[in-house]
Amino acid sequence: MMANPSILLVDDEQAITSNLAPFLERAGFEVIVAADGRAALDQVDQVDPALIVLDILMPRIDGRAVLRHLRQQDDWTPVILLTQIGESTERAMALEEGADDYLNKPFDPHELVARIRAVLRRARPGRPPLTSAQRLLCGKLTMNRTSRRAYLEGKELGLTPKAVALLEYMMTHPDELLSRDRLLDAVWGWDYPTGTRTVDTRIAELRRALGDDPDNPRYIETVHGEGYRFVGEVEGTGE
Amino acid sequence: MSRRTKPYPTRNLWLWLLALLPTLLGLFTAGVIALGQLENHRIYMAGRLIFVAPLLGVLLTGLLGSILLIHWRAERHVERAIARHRRVAAEERRRFLQRLDHELKNPLTAIRTGLANLAWLPSDETRQATLDSVDAQALRLSRLASDLRKLAELEVRPLETAPVDVGELLQEVMAAAQERPDGDQRHLGLTIPQAPWPLPTVEGDQDLLFLAVHNLVDNALKFSAPGDTVEIRAFEDGARLVIEVADTGPGIPEREAPHVWDELYRGQGARGVPGSGLGLTLVQAITERHGGQVGLRSRSGQGTVFTLRLPV
Repeated sequence: MMANPSILLVDDEQAITSNLAPFLERAGFEVIVAADGRAALDQVDQVDPALIVLDILMPRIDGRAVLRHLRQQDDWTPVILLTQIGESTERAMALEEGADDYLNKPFDPHELVARIRAVLRRARPGRPPLTSAQRLLCGKLTMNRTSRRAYLEGKELGLTPKAVALLEYMMTHPDELLSRDRLLDAVWGWDYPTGTRTVDTRIAELRRALGDDPDNPRYIETVHGEGYRFVGEVEGTGE
Repeated sequence: MSRRTKPYPTRNLWLWLLALLPTLLGLFTAGVIALGQLENHRIYMAGRLIFVAPLLGVLLTGLLGSILLIHWRAERHVERAIARHRRVAAEERRRFLQRLDHELKNPLTAIRTGLANLAWLPSDETRQATLDSVDAQALRLSRLASDLRKLAELEVRPLETAPVDVGELLQEVMAAAQERPDGDQRHLGLTIPQAPWPLPTVEGDQDLLFLAVHNLVDNALKFSAPGDTVEIRAFEDGARLVIEVADTGPGIPEREAPHVWDELYRGQGARGVPGSGLGLTLVQAITERHGGQVGLRSRSGQGTVFTLRLPV
């Protein structure tokens, strides 16, 4: 049996770490806690964690600086950022700097566990995450993230900007159950009861453009009553 | 906090003195000429200048003085407007903090009471019920925090705009309203003009505009009773496209009407009706991001019309 994956939990707020650490342990992880960025970098050297849960706002060295430092050292330990910064551009920058995922505070601890498992599942040891790849490939589908264009068999798909953003989010989170609320939050920036229709409309647009059959999907699977899942195998290039 | 500034005339004393200069120059010229005339009687033309120079000087002083006066009044007007605006902003902030305090107080009190009870609750069953209620209150606080964050984000994040067919959009809103359980208990109506020409398109973010109109319809359904009428209509008014959502509900009291757009504001009639107090704030934020304005007309006991005016 494999040892429990070790998680480095970095947050200066003791109220968070003292409750979250036992929760993650019960979920089957070994947890090491660091109270700031400096301590986090020391721990990374010493224990080589399987994943780092990293708060952004911290004294001395903040989460983004820790992330940048790791990636500059060519250290691709998966990182989930905990953010409370309202700006969506901040989160986009964090992903560009090499985070594997982010979660807004306040969050449901069960959601964090689900994200940790998903990131660990798709992590490719020693290689950059899909979230920081410039191009995403899945069979005949290519997504150029710099130009925000998607191609099927080399032919550009005429997609609305929201559909491109949705496809991009799904392709960077393959094989993960994505609830409509989560998609709304990540792609649209808001989630309200009526929003689920909005997601369904864009998913329908993507399926039409990709020629994907919902009953026998190559790309987007409907998980009834729960949301969607990108089922294709995704490769990232041009990090 | 207000910073007192010097009154305008004192601040610009040298300008006022400068305005007096033409008069002084005129008098000086007249004086010089008068002295010259006394010495040499042949300078006849200069005789008229004795009167003309001071007159010109006084006129010029009058002109400069008037310009300064107009400028002074304009500046005073702007200063007063800024002060008024600051007062209103401070008042709004104070009211927002009061409402936030209220929104935080109730769930926090419930959480603390629930936790205090946990220690002595007799059975697992009652303990579980208490834990569930504490969890629900914590969730309520989380939702409040994330709703406020999203609202703040909406005000700054770039809009992805494209031509939006408002008729189609309103039909979608209508379809969503009809699907609601309370939707078929109201007389729902949709009016979209086709003649002499169809509605123009609006440059906007379709999803956000849908959300704005849907929120208005959602409110109309929530605050009206079975048998009431809810109408959605749109028309062109000059360079604007107007969307109206009208209901025959209880109406909004006059004193509450100006505040319904404020964050977390809940009117008397909204007590006991589920909601975050952020729905209309969101409608306003979306409309203003599109360069439009929101408005409402209401009569107590007769109903309310909410209006979105969007540039075409």
